Amino acid sequence: MIFFFILLALVLVTQIAEFFIPPLDWMYNAHIYIVPVIVFYGAMALPFPLMLGLALFAGVLLDALTVQVIGAKVEISLGWSILLYAVLAGIMHGMRPLFIRGRWEVHCLLTGLCTSAIILAQYLMITFRRGSVLFSREVWWQIGGPGLMAMLMAPVIFWVLQWLARATRYPYLPERISFE
Amino acid sequence: MSRTSIIALLVFGAILGYFLSFGSETTRKFQASVYQLLAPFFTTGSGLQKQITSVRTGLKSLEELERENASLRTDNRQLRATNQALRDVEHEVNRLRHALNYRERSVFKLIPAEIVTRDSSTWWHTVTINRGKEDHIEPDMPVVTDEGLVGKTTTVSNTISVVLLATDENCKIAASVEGTREQGIVAGERVAGGIAPMLDLNFLSKQANLQPGQKAFTSGVGGVFPAGLFIGTVKSFRTRELDGQAKLAPAVDLSQLEDVFVVTGRK
Repeated sequence: MIFFFILLALVLVTQIAEFFIPPLDWMYNAHIYIVPVIVFYGAMALPFPLMLGLALFAGVLLDALTVQVIGAKVEISLGWSILLYAVLAGIMHGMRPLFIRGRWEVHCLLTGLCTSAIILAQYLMITFRRGSVLFSREVWWQIGGPGLMAMLMAPVIFWVLQWLARATRYPYLPERISFE
Repeated sequence: MSRTSIIALLVFGAILGYFLSFGSETTRKFQASVYQLLAPFFTTGSGLQKQITSVRTGLKSLEELERENASLRTDNRQLRATNQALRDVEHEVNRLRHALNYRERSVFKLIPAEIVTRDSSTWWHTVTINRGKEDHIEPDMPVVTDEGLVGKTTTVSNTISVVLLATDENCKIAASVEGTREQGIVAGERVAGGIAPMLDLNFLSKQANLQPGQKAFTSGVGGVFPAGLFIGTVKSFRTRELDGQAKLAPAVDLSQLEDVFVVTGRK
């Protein structure tokens, strides 16, 4: 349970930290997203009810801090990110047996794909709201770039979280630590 | 699926349904309270970021001198912004000299604010500033610098506010072009790939034939932005099937923003 609260605290801290990380101008202004990596780690490491709790917390934070209310119009209703996080985390959770066996490479790849999926879903929603479809090279980079970065960051973040899990005597650790 | 998981799923569904039922006003209030809750973290983070940047660029000075310098810079920018506002009013007066509905205009009331954080999301261009309801800031107030228009406030908490930048596609600004009778709507690009995003001035007449270098100002239509605020300079013009469209370079370099002013009214 301590580990769950540590994950919640880390989600909060990284969500705030993301505000201070400048976009990557060499990658068409793609942003760096760290929170999804933590949430998707939680999806593999936590039991189902706690996974839902983590997705709920991360989704509320994301919506509360990023979604814009213009006049009387909300482009993406509060709650959509919760649903996105929960569905994608649910998929990751389904691959938990692989994680328990210490095979993390699939999860690192999936973390990147799911991060991009969140941004793509947001883009599709605002595109639907704004009424014109636009898919340029910049759009694809801004969707794919964060996923790529998440994929690269995932092994390091997973390793740190794994270390934290062991330090807090979290009982659901994998049988074999693939980064050791 | 275990009984605990089913109960968790039901509770999750209920909470999700509750959030999804939020209207725009409830969403705004909820966002304002979250921002208010996290405001100390943002301001601390902003301070830390500035310190790190300061160390990184090798700018080391005495704390007192730094504070005095910051204060003088704010004063200077406020004076320049007031001066700009006066120039904008002068421009407006000149433009309307031949009109019968001439009326005397006064300068704007400006509240200085500091940028706390920049946009962290991909699809919205926003910044947060260290002023809120306690400083009489309300949603939909124009935000400017001495160089021109920055955007408008959206979510406002007690001590912190979100500013939607002019480069966001949702920030629609009624504009007029100097030296012409052309009027249009300025909006940002949905996705800006470059360092300096451009603005689109839409709904111009096909005969507008704007030339690079011409300046666009707010026209005052719509009620949010007062007339005469400098928006940007025309870079190119093209005709479309139904209207003309100009690309504008924003008056303000939004990537380098540090201090801004919120226009709370006229003096």
